[in-house]
Amino acid sequence: MTGKTIVVTSGKGGVGKTTTVANIGTVLAKKKYSVVMIDADIGLRNLDVVMGLENRIVYNLVDIIEGKCRKQQAMIRDRKLHNLYIIPAAQTREKTSVTPDQMKDLCAELAEEFDYVIIDCPAGIEQGFKNAVAGAQTAIVVTTPEVSAIRDADRVIGLLEAGLLKDIHLIINRLNHRMVKKGDMMSTEDIISLLAVPLLGVVPESEEVVISTNRGTPLVHDRGSKAGVAFQQIAARLNGEDIALDMEQKVTIMDRMKRFIWS
Amino acid sequence: MLKAIRRFFGEKASSQMARQRMQVVLMHDRMDIAPDIMEALKNDIIAVLSRYMEIDKRTIQVDLEQGKNYTALISNVQIKRVYRHSMST
Ligand SMILES: Nc1ncnc2c1ncn2[C@@H]1O[C@H](COP(=O)(O)OP(=O)(O)OP(=O)(O)O)[C@@H](O)[C@H]1O
Ligand SMILES: [Mg+2]
Repeated sequence: MTGKTIVVTSGKGGVGKTTTVANIGTVLAKKKYSVVMIDADIGLRNLDVVMGLENRIVYNLVDIIEGKCRKQQAMIRDRKLHNLYIIPAAQTREKTSVTPDQMKDLCAELAEEFDYVIIDCPAGIEQGFKNAVAGAQTAIVVTTPEVSAIRDADRVIGLLEAGLLKDIHLIINRLNHRMVKKGDMMSTEDIISLLAVPLLGVVPESEEVVISTNRGTPLVHDRGSKAGVAFQQIAARLNGEDIALDMEQKVTIMDRMKRFIWS
Repeated sequence: MLKAIRRFFGEKASSQMARQRMQVVLMHDRMDIAPDIMEALKNDIIAVLSRYMEIDKRTIQVDLEQGKNYTALISNVQIKRVYRHSMST
């Protein structure tokens, strides 16, 4: 068995990488795939709290790399899904305690055992980024509809392509449909035309994201949430399922008329 | 309401401004990251022009010029001689 290795990255910090990893991983595990999520954000670990697994950590990613424990000892099983695991980052170590080659080897080993290996990349484009992308075949770039996030995403896409990682997909997070309609926020179409990377999906700005993070339970467990549905569709598309892109973001004739009147 | 009035008098939506600014910024960023692409572009321009005319390759300049609402690629090169039509392919 050889699973897929996927890195979730962005350049700019705080745009929703960890949220995306937690939700996509959970959806794929619910679909009965075996999934391991690696928190590669050494020194600023977060995936454990987003998944509500912070109390169970004994060993971490650096311990595996340094041979202080076996892989299985550092993997923490999810509370609800027995085929979903995380490997937490070390909290008190430097990003330089891991090298890209070591990450590559670890990801390759994990891909032998799991259907999906999903890597949560730190912000920035330095060593931590290089480590996180080293073992991945596919990259998901997360951006928000803001100029700084988009600029950084473009930079990251350039670096990925230069490093010969060509299978790149885009997620637009925190889109506010109301602001887009008023012309106060760039639309999905605007962003795609700027970045020219295939779109995996759009996640709306949503209070539910904050609430689910407070609880330590990924949003996709909750059926009624719009952002949760967006993540379900994103994971399904990633899994090769043919799901049409959300029509919500399509501009209606009414919107066009309004925009015409206002502009 | 104030915003609606300003829009009525021709103020652009901020999303439109963002998009136009990003088009320019990304173009510059991409050129910056890839000086080798600029070099390749230069060589391709020389190759194309050379089919029609003899040019002084050392004089070629290729730059991005930023206007208020456009970005242009400006290339300057000295022509030594233009071939007769029969020579072009
Ligand atoms: N769609 C959304 N709606 C509302 N809040 C969101 C949304 N997505 C993410 N957030 C919030 O934004 C914050 C940052 O999210 P997250 O930690 O996933 O980003 P990150 O890219 O992993 O950050 P870092 O670069 O620090 O690792 C969190 O508080 C999260 O709850
Ligand atoms: Mg994070």
